[in-house]
Amino acid sequence: MDKLIRQNWWKALGVGIMVYVFTVGMLVPLKPGITTVAPGAARTGTDVTLDITGYNTHFLEAEDSVRFWLKLDNERALSARAVQVLGNNAVKVTFAFPEYLPVGEKVQPFSILMDNAVDGAIIRPDAVYVTQDSINPALGEAAWDNAPIADLHTHVGMTFPFRNILGETIRNTYYHVSLWLAMMLIFIAAMVYSVRYLRTFDSRNDHWAAALTTVGVLLGWLGMVTGAIWAKFTWGAFWSWDIKQFTTLIALLIYMAYFVLRRAFPDEAQQARVSAVYNVFAFVALIPLIYVLPRLTDSLHPGNGGNPAFGSDDLDNTMRMVFYPAVIGWTLIGGWIASLLYRTARVEESQWDGYETGSQNKSTN
Amino acid sequence: MLNNLKNSDFSRAKIVLMKSIRFSLTVLLLLTLQVSSFAQAPTADFMNSMGKMYVVVAVILAIFVGIILFLVFLDRRLTKIENQINDHG
Repeated sequence: MDKLIRQNWWKALGVGIMVYVFTVGMLVPLKPGITTVAPGAARTGTDVTLDITGYNTHFLEAEDSVRFWLKLDNERALSARAVQVLGNNAVKVTFAFPEYLPVGEKVQPFSILMDNAVDGAIIRPDAVYVTQDSINPALGEAAWDNAPIADLHTHVGMTFPFRNILGETIRNTYYHVSLWLAMMLIFIAAMVYSVRYLRTFDSRNDHWAAALTTVGVLLGWLGMVTGAIWAKFTWGAFWSWDIKQFTTLIALLIYMAYFVLRRAFPDEAQQARVSAVYNVFAFVALIPLIYVLPRLTDSLHPGNGGNPAFGSDDLDNTMRMVFYPAVIGWTLIGGWIASLLYRTARVEESQWDGYETGSQNKSTN
Repeated sequence: MLNNLKNSDFSRAKIVLMKSIRFSLTVLLLLTLQVSSFAQAPTADFMNSMGKMYVVVAVILAIFVGIILFLVFLDRRLTKIENQINDHG
């Protein structure tokens, strides 16, 4: 380790990876999507014109191939009677609703399916709620199977997924979520050094543990602040006492108490020993607080309330190509910062020793 | 003896001066950041425009500010050691 911290290749690697993460993470466009459909409700037996806004769509460029459906499933769909393209991101679509719906419900949500040659197929689930006056599924099925959904195009090019509430903020996966995973790796390293200190009583291990814990807390607070900003514009509030916000706050406070504890002991060996033990306990508390408790109850965070943290819906393969490097990059940068703190602590210690042994020099100065 | 004393007094005063300059610069930097973030007062409309792209910008800015604040902390800690070394080394 002492040799490694004077080498620069891994620091350069960390910076290079982060340059890649920032450029690719910011420049790759979002997949085309549908942001608004108005009105969101309709009645059977009427003609309804929907105003549809797209995001990153190319309605104008692909005007000849724009097709729209209202869709329950592949068999029960209704194709648009008229499509009037207003711009690349705006279109008016008219549907002529039959008298009956192909379902036994009074009100049924339908998805909007769009297809054109440039953007490929886009679906907006539960876009229009259609109400019928009387129920007759058999007549409805006869009226609704008039629209074969076939020859759909696929979008060509590297894109990140489009999510309606998230929009471009899906990129924060690389600048918020990755911070927490990097923090986790840094805290694991800190815990390992604390255990090593308890086995060897070598003060260098204690300095590593303290330096890594400092960086972990830094990454944690950065994750907290970035998460609050992201939450404000997607969940509506900086802080909403979400279970995961709450448990991570507790975990960070537990880790900050580590530094309070360190300063409470004037004797260095005692300070190192107590804080090493505390660090192991803090890590043991961190795992249930971040990974177990939030899954036991409902949370605004994705991947909680019983779901796995990284469902394929939340992180597709293109995002993985940026997300995992981001984790490695933040970890390397964090390791670099930790190595600076470690070296500072070593110099402080040697200076303190020199100060004590050379105290007679002080009077001559 | 007297010369030495004067010299060390002078260097100490210089250090205090530099420290206060650095501190005021830091405060100035923080104030500028605060003021600029409030002066532009990004409205919800602004933050939600362009597919909420400015939220990503704000997040990256927050990380940048956090790392800069950490550098200030590390800088002060190193200055303290340097002063000790200058005083006692």
